[in-house]
Parts: sequence; C-alpha cells; structure tokens
Amino acid sequence: MAAPAGSRLLDLWTVLTLAALAVLAIFVLWPLANVFTASFYGEFSRSFGLENYATFFGSGYFRRALWHSLFTSAMGTLLALALGLPLAVIAARYDFRGKATLRVLVLLSLISPPFIGAYAWIMLLGRQGLVTQALAEIGIALPTIYGAPGIILVTALNLYPLVFLLVHGALLRIDRSLEEASLGLGRTRFQTFRSITLPLTLPAMATGALLVFLGVLSDFGTPALLGENYPVLATLAFTLFLSEIGGNPAMASTTSVVLVTVALVLILLQRWVASRRNYASDAINRPEILRMTGWQLLIFPAFAWGLMAIANLPLAIIVYTSFLETSGPVFLQSFSLDSYRQVFHLVRGAIVNSFAFSGMALALIVVVGSVVGYIISRRDTTLTRVLDTALMIPYVIPGTVLGIGFITAFNQPPIWITGTVAIIVAAYFIRRLPYMVRACASYVYQIDRSVEEASINLGAPPARTFMKIMLPLMAPGILAGAVLAWVEVINELSATVVLYTGTTSTMPIATYSQVLAGSYGPAAAVASLLILATTLSLVLFTVIGGSDRELTV
Amino acid sequence: MAAIGISGLVKRFGAVTAIEALDLNVGAGEFFTLLGPSGCGKTTLLRIIAGFERQNAGDLHVAGRLANDIPAHRRDMGMVFQNYAIFPHMSVFDNVAYGLTQRKFKQREIEAKVSRALELVRLEGYGRRFPDQLSGGQKQRVVLARALVIEPQVLLMDEPLSALDAKVRVGLRRDIRLVQQQLGITTLYVTHDQEEALVVSDRIMVMEAGEIRQLGSPREVYEDPANLFVATFIGTSNLLGGRVDRSAGGSVVLAQGARLDLPDLQAADGTELRLALRPEHLTVLDDGPVAGGLVVLEGVVELVSYLGSQSRIAVRIPGVAEVVEVEAPSAAPASASPPGRAVRLGFRPESAFLFAAANGERVR
Repeated sequence: MAAPAGSRLLDLWTVLTLAALAVLAIFVLWPLANVFTASFYGEFSRSFGLENYATFFGSGYFRRALWHSLFTSAMGTLLALALGLPLAVIAARYDFRGKATLRVLVLLSLISPPFIGAYAWIMLLGRQGLVTQALAEIGIALPTIYGAPGIILVTALNLYPLVFLLVHGALLRIDRSLEEASLGLGRTRFQTFRSITLPLTLPAMATGALLVFLGVLSDFGTPALLGENYPVLATLAFTLFLSEIGGNPAMASTTSVVLVTVALVLILLQRWVASRRNYASDAINRPEILRMTGWQLLIFPAFAWGLMAIANLPLAIIVYTSFLETSGPVFLQSFSLDSYRQVFHLVRGAIVNSFAFSGMALALIVVVGSVVGYIISRRDTTLTRVLDTALMIPYVIPGTVLGIGFITAFNQPPIWITGTVAIIVAAYFIRRLPYMVRACASYVYQIDRSVEEASINLGAPPARTFMKIMLPLMAPGILAGAVLAWVEVINELSATVVLYTGTTSTMPIATYSQVLAGSYGPAAAVASLLILATTLSLVLFTVIGGSDRELTV
Repeated sequence: MAAIGISGLVKRFGAVTAIEALDLNVGAGEFFTLLGPSGCGKTTLLRIIAGFERQNAGDLHVAGRLANDIPAHRRDMGMVFQNYAIFPHMSVFDNVAYGLTQRKFKQREIEAKVSRALELVRLEGYGRRFPDQLSGGQKQRVVLARALVIEPQVLLMDEPLSALDAKVRVGLRRDIRLVQQQLGITTLYVTHDQEEALVVSDRIMVMEAGEIRQLGSPREVYEDPANLFVATFIGTSNLLGGRVDRSAGGSVVLAQGARLDLPDLQAADGTELRLALRPEHLTVLDDGPVAGGLVVLEGVVELVSYLGSQSRIAVRIPGVAEVVEVEAPSAAPASASPPGRAVRLGFRPESAFLFAAANGERVR
C-alpha cells in the first residue's frame, strides 16, 4: 500500500517532533548523563563504582544536607498549605471585598523570586535588621532567621500561591448542585464542606503541596542567602562544584543525583495522585457565594489582608530601601538616588545582559514552545508521548544541577559554549520551555479538532492551517506562557550562578553578589529593577489577557 | 458515472475493525445518507472520504479518479461538522471566504461569491457578525455556506443537526434539502436520527458494526426492511415471538397463542421467528364482532401517551416480553382508556414483517 493519505502532513509534524526530541537530548539528557556518570567515578580512586555514594551516605555532613533539604521542604509545604488553603476557601466561597486586588497581590508574591524575599527578610529580621534592632533596643531578642526557620518562612510565603491558585480553581469548579444535594439530604454546611467539598479539592491540594515541596527543594537563592551554616542539597552541590572545578566534580555530581532523585520521586507521586483522583468537571452552576457572619467578618479579612501584607512586605521594603542613602549594610535616614547611580555605574552590563539573555530565551521559548505544545496535544503517537514525558525533566531538574550538567557537558567539542552567552540562553530556554508547552497545550485541548479539520478541508495545508487557525486561537495560552516564562527567566539565579562569568553577569547575580558583599543599597536598587520588570509584565498580562485568566503552572 | 465509488474498503483501529469490506457507489447529485447507531462506522467512512483517516485496504474513487493518495486539503470536498467548527476568531464573511482566499480568488469575486452563499443560507447581511453573536442554527448555516461557496465536488455532512434544538433542527434540515436540490450537489450525510434520514435522503445506507444492513430509498427501508435490525432501528416496531408451524391450519403460531396464515412464508417448519408490527398496523378493537382475517391479541392497557392529534397506547400482552405500542386518534375512545383496562388489538397478518430469530434475516 502507498504512503498514507496526507503523508506530507504527517512528515511535517514528525520532523518537528524529532527535532524537539533532539534538542531535549542535547540540552537535557546529555548534561544529565554527564552528571550521572561523573557521580560514579570515585572522588579519590577515579574508578567506576559506588564510592561516592558510600561517601555521601557514610558522612554525617552529607546526610545532614539531605535531611535539611527534606525538612525545610516538608515544613515549607505545611506552612504554605496552612496559608494557602484558608485563603482559597475565603476567596472562593465568601462575599469578600477586593478579590481582584487580592489575586494580583497573590500573584505578585508568587512571581517575585525567593532570593529577593530572603534578602528583604534579612534586612528586617537579620542580625542588623530593622525589626531586630528596634526590638533589641527595648530588650527583646528575636529568634534567629538564619538556617531552617528563615528558609521555611521565606519559601512558604513565596510559594503558598501555588496552593491558593490550584485549590481556589478547584473550589470554583465544584458544581453547586453537589453541595446542594448534600444539604438537601440533611447535612449541615460544615458537614457538607468536610464530606463533599474538601474531598473534591483533594487532588488540587495534593498537586499544590507537591509543587511547593519541589519548589523549596530546588531553591538555591534562599538557602544561599539565609542558610549560612545550614547546607541543603542545592547549595551544597554548588559549593562542591566550585571547589572541585578543574578537578573531578564527583561529589557535586553525587549530591546532584541525590537531589534529582528526590525531585523525581515527588513528581512521579504527583502524577500518580493526579491520575488516580481526578474529579475534573466544569461547573455548570458556580458555587454559592456565602455571606460572612459574626466572627468571620473580623477574622477572614484580617487573615487575608494580613497575609497579603506580610507576603508582599519584602517587595515594599526593597523598593523603599533602594531610595535610601546607605553606607555598606547600614541604611541612613535620608533619601537619595545614590544606590541607583552606583548600580548603573557598576553593573550596567548585568542589566543589559538580563534583558538581552531573557529576550533571546523568550523568543526561542515562544516559537518552539507553541509548536511543541500543539504537537503533544494534537498528535498522539509514541514519539509525541516520549516528547511529552521528556519535557517533564527540565521542569524537575533544579537549576543548580542543570548548570553543573551544562558545564560538564559543554566545555569541550563538539559543543564548547561554557562561559558564553549561548550557554546561559540555552539554560533559560530549556528550563522554561515546559511552561510554554503546558500553557499552549491546555489551550489546544480546548480547541475542537474539527475547527482545524474544517480549515484543511477548505484547502489550507497543515502548516498554513496552523498559522491561520491554531496560532490565533492559541494566542491567550502563548501570552500566559510567555509572561510566566519571562518572569522566571529574568529572575533566574540558580543555574546562572553556576554558568556566568565576569562578562555574562545578570541582575539576579548582581543582587546576590551585592548582598553577599554587604552592599545593601545597590542590592536593593537592582532588586527593585527586577521587581519593576516583573510587575510590569504582570500588569501587561492583566491588561491584554483580561483579569479573568489564571496563571497556573 | 458515480460521483463516489468505494470498493473493498476496510478500516481497522488497532484490533478493532470499524469497516468491513465495504462496496458503495453514490450517484452524481444524489443525497445519500449513512444511518446507524453510534460506533457503526458511518463517521469513520465519511472521514475516510474527506481524507482525515486512511483506509487499511480498498479504493476510493471520486468522479472516476482514484483518490486514495490525495491529501485532505486537496480533495475539494466541502464538509459540515457536528459541532460547527466555525472559526471563532473570524467574522462570518471571513469564515465563508476562507476557502476562496486559499484558492486565490480576486477580492471582488470573493465578495460576490460570499454574498451569494450567505443569501443561499438566508443569512444576507450577517457578514460582519462574529460567531459568538450567532445562534447555533445560524452558526451551522454559516458553516454550510462556507462549505458550499468553494463549489466542491461533494458535500459531506457529519451529524450537522445533532447539536441543535428540535425546532431549529426541523427547519434547518428542510433548508439543507432545498439547497441541495437547488445546487444539485452530491451529498453524503451522516446521522443516527432515523427520522431525519427518512426526511432528507434520496437513498439511505443503514449500517451496523461496520457493515451495510440495507441500502435503499427511505420508503424501501421503512416499508420493506431487509432484516430485524433495520425494522427496529428505523421507526417503531412491536416484536412478538413465534414459530413456523404448519401442522394445524395456518403457518405460524405466536408464542402468545394466536395463529397466522401466511401462504408465502419461506421457512421450514420449526423455525423460530420474530414478528415485527408497526404501531400504525395495529388497531384497538371495539367490543363488536371481529372483522374476518384479523389476528387478535388480548392485553391490558399499561399507559396512554398523549402526542397531540394521535395518542400512543402501551398494551401489556401475556406471553410478550415488551409492551406493544398502538397508535390511535386522540379523539377515539381507546385513547381515554385508564391503565388496567382489558383491550383487544387486531392486525392483518400480511402487514407483519417476519424474521428468522437465529440471524434476523427477513423470511417474509
């Protein structure tokens, strides 16, 4: 039998699928394989075996780092749940003023990178922190923010929106009739909430919790700034790698593999939970909005706005202090633009780099992501399923590990790009490509297949159909993916910190090194610029995309 | 020459055979309907003709040309989909003009053709509206105009009315038939709605499990069903069990006890039968004497459904598994029967369809 009808159509998409797989193989699998292999070459013996893993699990130092990672991730997740769940219930179910503002504030605390939060909390509660010193004057000593408590606090305040967004969405998708049926059968409102509403949001809750856990686990900036003598896997891998560079990256690789393994177990767990319990239904009748009564009138708004204030306090503090005159880590009482002058003088390159690298990466992400998002949601073949699964990997790999992998893989021919702009852009591209793919795919799923077939039927070849019909209909998904990717890329620290050289520094790197150097003024100024770039894109998104769209991961 | 010729066509999805060795010829200008329950292969067949699916074996000829290897976008067939498939980001005008732009017509020609097409589907003046400002029926008209404006060789319609309200459906199916006759365009129409098929078609192909059960005019498939499947799928049929028995007068004995005499019955003694009766072939008898030649069934009224001018009376007959449905004018006394009343039903033996119980084939 001859080739299938429309074989050229199949060929186009097959070629693109293979190309995407090749890109993932080069920029994800190859670096990871390098790290993986390196972890089996003994630190001292240089022979193949489990020597490094014996070292890792035999040493209290390494075991402690693993425990620290698990502990802060678990506690951060619990705290994020404790904050995100009640907020989701209040916002989804109660007649509550200022919901639109609330949503923007929640998103703002999600999209501002954790290292900025960490830095702000140091300014507030650190050794020379404003609050610490104010309280010290009246004789109150605060518990330390360095180490586990700070990491847990900062990451939870940064990541609770994941729980909020997912559970809030799930609560709104529960059809009103389900709860009314329960009430009609004689259950009280509270019993109904416990026996109907809560179980129905369980999958969303589990997904949110696992995403938070994964977020804390892979975070580099927060433990790097707040950790001090409290190493976690992400910071440990980085420190080991820096000290081992040029030699044998054995223990850094081993630490990376342990970190990736933990992350992988979690993501598989999340997929399993999601596939097992999925009550997805589109609510025909949105749930009833309840009136707050009695104590609720006081407690609910206080909780919601209190949380908003605390979670977004870091942003306010940073922008405020960026306009203060400083002397090293000490802020003086007068306003000045000195910090900005210093920044534009000292790290102008970093600012230009940030926008240039992020712009280049974003262009790649938009082009490749929209095509791949279309392919995995429309063409159901073995190849596209492999591609879909492979795209989970860059999502799970902590930036530090990817950075280490990139350096080990690309510091020799055939791809020798260590220290160049290309390696940073490639890292940004591959790390955030999944965001765009997911965002586009979720829109493609909503577009009826027959719309596309109608266009082909009317004579437009597949590629033209994609351009004329699919791209315009996917536009909101592309916009959502692009905003999310942009915000993540311009704030990227954990991979950049491994990959950058003197000439390829970025704004997050500048912030990070200024904080470490104790130059709090310039640090605040660069961080403010980052916050501005981030906030502007969120505003742009809200204006273009309409306020009803949800930023989800 | 046939507009569409299909020979030895087979389609499998993995281990499942959707279409089994199918042969079919559709004449030029014919309104040809593929009718069957969901999963019978009718939509698959349409999609193979449109080029969206590829058959595993067999040939497809369009206007005498082998079309197996022509990609979907070059098949020159207009298609109307079940859920509109209207381009939501384009105006009505741009939707209809889509295929013309693709064919590189001049702007003036496009405008003229689009406005003629919109006139044809009675949507003149709607060009600048957007799909979200249209009702379901209007959307389907736009899509019909979009498919017709390219003057395709064949018009393909995949359950085009199933997403619409009953009333809109009836109006639109009449319009579809009128436009089709006006343009004389060969049309393949897929539906699971037997009433719709009867109303619009020149010929109907009744399908079940990927095979043809009967192919004929609406009148043929209703009045002369080839097998039990067609008799029950098209229209209402009351089913009675029976057996061929020529031992004691007559030729058939019904499970319920009555005897029928059918001299032209083509079946051996002892053959198990299924007897199908249309509701309109049954009458509710009054208490007087029974006219000669009528077979009488005795039962009890279970439910009377008022349908307007007619009423449908469900009668429970001892020895018959399903209730037997009879139609009577609503004004008739029988239509006022309370549940539980004993009634006698009569039918002429020659009005019954008889099928072999073993394979469902017609024996009379």
